[in-house]
Amino acid sequence: MSKIENQIVDLIAQKKSADIHVQTLGNFQIWRDGEKVSAKEWGRDKTIQLFQFLVTARHRHSLHKEQIVDRLWEDADGKTADQNFKVALHGINKVLEPNRPSRTEPKYILRQGITYQLNLEKIWIDTEAVEKFIALGNQALGDAPDVAIKAYQEAIELYGGIYLPNRLYEDWSSEERERLQILSLGAMITLSELLVEKNPMESIRFAQKALLIDHAWEDAYRVQMEAYLQKGNRPMAIKTYQQCEKVLEEEFGIEPLPETQQLLSKIKGIKAV
Amino acid sequence: MSVKKDETASFMLRFTQKIFKNDQGEPQVQWRGNIRHVQGGDEKRFSEFDDAVNFIQGKLAEMTIQQMEDKSPEEQKGILSKSFDLWKKMTLNAPKMVMETIKDPKKGVENIQKEFQEVGEAISQKVEETIAQRKVDVDEWRGVSKSDHNSMMELMEKMSNEISALNKKVNKLSKK
Repeated sequence: MSKIENQIVDLIAQKKSADIHVQTLGNFQIWRDGEKVSAKEWGRDKTIQLFQFLVTARHRHSLHKEQIVDRLWEDADGKTADQNFKVALHGINKVLEPNRPSRTEPKYILRQGITYQLNLEKIWIDTEAVEKFIALGNQALGDAPDVAIKAYQEAIELYGGIYLPNRLYEDWSSEERERLQILSLGAMITLSELLVEKNPMESIRFAQKALLIDHAWEDAYRVQMEAYLQKGNRPMAIKTYQQCEKVLEEEFGIEPLPETQQLLSKIKGIKAV
Repeated sequence: MSVKKDETASFMLRFTQKIFKNDQGEPQVQWRGNIRHVQGGDEKRFSEFDDAVNFIQGKLAEMTIQQMEDKSPEEQKGILSKSFDLWKKMTLNAPKMVMETIKDPKKGVENIQKEFQEVGEAISQKVEETIAQRKVDVDEWRGVSKSDHNSMMELMEKMSNEISALNKKVNKLSKK
């Protein structure tokens, strides 16, 4: 097995071995030692929100308490906000480590002075895994397309929908949502392209998955046309072009790119069997 | 549409660049965009930057109107007028900023952020000034209700969209 293949296997194994699993894509759920944490255990919504905020900010260095409070309790005065933060933090630690002995340091929320961050070595987060699988896919793309396919498939299986859908209207979550969506769209299109000849039906499935995220993503229509062509299904390839043309006109008032139009000409030029 | 935070409007702007060759083999660049109002969830796609600007303007106008509920119609008119003046300045500079962004993305983004900040600060200042000085002419605006304002805003947005669609069609026809 190559180095990248080993890394893929390790990444899959990490999910199984981690004590805490966090799902943020398509839905928000946490599993502690394999058991789903109920809404009742979380208690207040602000406790969940603080945890989600720490997940969202996981790539930054430790967050200063003031930075957190300013975003989550912007309307509260200093003393109240401080108290709310303490309550929510206590709530998180209770959910993640219900049996932690008193006077011991929390294992999953690391604190240094008045800065806080998640311990990513002990918590498995779906978004982290998606990013790592896509990065491995990108690395393997040139020399080992089969390995790249495996990595992208793992990533896309994990992409269950938009990031933290219950925080759609919170601006602190928007940047991460957009970043992950574009990253996943790119992976879906690349995977779809890789599968055109090898497995056109799978190629179509991934292209359609991309269109569920963004129905005006022209690359997804084009690769789908190629896959239908590969299967010898001209009518569906032409129908896909027509859908693309209609959507682009409605959404942007533009025509498909010359590349897509040329593909249509190629499809029309092939005589029906 | 439900706006959760009436004092903040965030927008997520996505640009997708398409580079291709036309029939003559000349390289062409096309920009496709998507803008989303975070707090309300509404979104719009665009291929002309003006459409994005109009979208932002519409949302900011809605927010301004919501924040002026307790003000008299005269004050409301003054605030809206100042807000539009400042926004006009922004829209005049926007195409230039986009071109600069294409040439030098880092510098362009910095300029856009600076411009937004300046306009935001200026709007706040003008709103305060207008309320404090009550320098507004009244007459035709006396007695105008919030629903009239809303209708006016909806009408303006509709007109703006229609003009934009017409422009696109004219451009398309002139290319043929």
